[in-house]
Amino acid sequence: MKKTVAVYFGGRSTEHDISIITALSSVIKPLEMAGQYTIIPVYITKQGRWISGPKLKDISLFSSGKIEDFIKKAKPVTVTFDGGFMLNKTRIDINFPAMHGSFGEDGSLMGVFRMAGIPFVGADMDSSVIAMDKVLAKQVAEANNIPTSKFVFLTRDEFLADQVGETAKVAATLSYPLFVKPAHLGSSIGITRVTTEEELHNALEVAAYYDNKIIVEEAVANLIEVTVPIIGNKVPKPALIERPLATADEFFDFENKYIRGGGKKTGGAKQTGSQGYSELPVVLPEGLDDKVLQTAIATYKALGLQGMGRVDLLIDSKSQTVYFNEVNPLPGSIYAHNWRAAGVSTVDLVNELVQLAEQRFSDNSQLNTTFSSSFLQQF
Amino acid sequence: MKYFWTRFLPSYPKVLLYMLQSTEYNLGQYLTWFNRTADFRRVMKRRTLDMTKKVRILLLAIQAIVFVILLVIIAAVYLSTVYGQMWLLVALLLLITAPFIVAYGLAVPLFIGELLIQRPREKVIIANAQKKLNDHPGRRIAVAGSFGKTTAKEILKVVIGEGMNVAATPGNMNTPIGISRFVMKLKGDEDILVFELGEEKVGDVRELSRLVHPEYAIITGINEAHLSSFGSLENTVATIFEIEKFVKPEKLYKNEQSPLVKSYKNKSTLWFSDEKAGDWQVGHISTAIDGTEFTMTRQGETIHAKTGLVGVHTVGVTAAAVAMAYELGVSIENIENGLRKVRPFEHRMEPRPMHGAWVIDDTYNGNSQGVEAGLSFLKSSGAKRRIYVTPGLVEQGSKVREIHETIGRQIAGSVDVVVLMQNSVTEYIKAGLTREKFNGKLIEIDNPLQFYTNLDQFVAAGDIVLMQNDWTDNYQ
Repeated sequence: MKKTVAVYFGGRSTEHDISIITALSSVIKPLEMAGQYTIIPVYITKQGRWISGPKLKDISLFSSGKIEDFIKKAKPVTVTFDGGFMLNKTRIDINFPAMHGSFGEDGSLMGVFRMAGIPFVGADMDSSVIAMDKVLAKQVAEANNIPTSKFVFLTRDEFLADQVGETAKVAATLSYPLFVKPAHLGSSIGITRVTTEEELHNALEVAAYYDNKIIVEEAVANLIEVTVPIIGNKVPKPALIERPLATADEFFDFENKYIRGGGKKTGGAKQTGSQGYSELPVVLPEGLDDKVLQTAIATYKALGLQGMGRVDLLIDSKSQTVYFNEVNPLPGSIYAHNWRAAGVSTVDLVNELVQLAEQRFSDNSQLNTTFSSSFLQQF
Repeated sequence: MKYFWTRFLPSYPKVLLYMLQSTEYNLGQYLTWFNRTADFRRVMKRRTLDMTKKVRILLLAIQAIVFVILLVIIAAVYLSTVYGQMWLLVALLLLITAPFIVAYGLAVPLFIGELLIQRPREKVIIANAQKKLNDHPGRRIAVAGSFGKTTAKEILKVVIGEGMNVAATPGNMNTPIGISRFVMKLKGDEDILVFELGEEKVGDVRELSRLVHPEYAIITGINEAHLSSFGSLENTVATIFEIEKFVKPEKLYKNEQSPLVKSYKNKSTLWFSDEKAGDWQVGHISTAIDGTEFTMTRQGETIHAKTGLVGVHTVGVTAAAVAMAYELGVSIENIENGLRKVRPFEHRMEPRPMHGAWVIDDTYNGNSQGVEAGLSFLKSSGAKRRIYVTPGLVEQGSKVREIHETIGRQIAGSVDVVVLMQNSVTEYIKAGLTREKFNGKLIEIDNPLQFYTNLDQFVAAGDIVLMQNDWTDNYQ
């Protein structure tokens, strides 16, 4: 009997559109191809409304703009927690979040699924929260002796209260060039590279527009930027080390990652993420491959990631130091292109992710979550 | 009865036309399909209706039939108010039988058109072609056999074409009318004419040989293809060997690796295989995804053959073409140059890269020898994952079970993943897999179109996917 898998995408996030591509091209299609699942697409609108229906599996609904009409006419999804999880009276066996950024990848959705007591694909709530906070992730890495580039952080309120003072404080602590990032956003949104105090101030303003927490990091010298997709629960398994190739700006920004290298230029949703601008697998100086993989796996474990993730690392090619940069618990298009190059088809990848979700759920089910006591009898 | 209502769907007329088009307006096949089909929603699985002029005319014919039926129904309902309930029953009966009237009614204009227009016109074309061929100075080569004809024809065309003016029947134009149309387009200055002779029933090869009068011929191999229309394998063999009455024994090349060809007693001693072609010895064979290499030697002469064709099974027929080209006066240098230009033919062991994997399209292959050859290549390919995709073979007559169980057994020892397009032979293939204790991955697909269009989701770097055979929608 086929298992029913609900796939969630869209959401109240700056990465709403990217999530649609991830879901439709890299999750729903291969799950259907696997032939073992009945797929229920759940689209979460930019306003946070949940809707469902088979038409949502068709990219043309979104690319043609007809989605707006569809949303207006669609009935919202009803969710039932009855010891399991039901959507519109259909029992769901496994949830597959295909969401990026806030209210999806940041642990919020995972919290709902935990409450419902249902297996779900990808990182759990706590690790998602840590992974999606660049400051927390770096702090956890540092605590586990994983090198990170020097950084400071400040809140939006702190910056807005004293913009000049806070800018000067950051400038005094770190050495240029610096990267200014919103702490919780992915896909390089709101990130700026700065080399002067004036640029730093502007960049902090930009970051504060997107997030309530801002991280400022020192750039790594002699930089080779690499990324490693990983799947697994107890035994993480890396794919290939990939080097995102930057343009003249030396910077892997949103446009580079998703628009220039992505489907829009080449015309197909099947083109995923960054492969158009990647060196895959990267050719690194001798000995660095192992170091990169070890650092990536150590980070994955330290952050408690399960299911899947992508660890971004920065290499100082001169000193051969590998720094943890950030981690992505649900990478765009689940980094299917990298797994495919590593010899894992997208169908096998989603199958394995579903199995990992079930395995974790089964392991967690062994834990005792209740405790019998005579406490209430006192009243 | 469960799906009776599907005959009243708006898509029903287009489904009928789709099937007529799929069967190339073969009324017998069309009506067989119609009588067998229950659910008319799930017919157009592989492609869609091509709105040709003929289809538009037939669509109009359907609309006319439906219009007449409706008029009669309305008249019957009216008459029921005057003459009683009996007419209501007539209207109801007409309504229920309307889909059948439409389906069979379509056959009438087609049959009349064929009888009054098509056949007389074809007769004239064939007679003119015969006349033109009688005056044509070109030497003729005929290619006959149950399988491998197109490959042999294309190799001959390319190899001999490296020094001579060659024309060959295009695509599958291998019937009297197809060949005649081809002949009518000839300029008259061709040195060599290559004809593919099709066969579906006893006498076909004789009829085509009478038309083209071949000097040389190749029998590529014989198997169970069209067994249903031949009635027996003996008939198939006899039909293909009808060509020996038109070609001298020393100019008739036969495939020694085809047991049915080998078993037939006749005067010709010109055999070809992956070891020899006539008195040429074949050796040093190597094959990979980018082509096949081998040598041919004879009395101090050596030909270094290198083609883009995939698989050892291409060696024999290539060697025969080479031997024939040499007999016709093509130099060794030109033969070698010609061979280098031989690329895989469309849908016949045609490799294409996909995300670091290779997908070999062999969907035009429709015989058990092709299956064996493809699996043999896949087995020795060294791919990370050897993936085999097939719906099975059509038109295998009474041997359908035996042939597909054998295919299942062959698959079991050759691949890591097998993808079966579900149909009436799937269980036979699975039985073969079980018998050989297949321990790879078995995937069954009920939507072939979806599978083919999303193949990229299924492959990964290092894989070789071999897609063999096609199962058109008129088969179940």
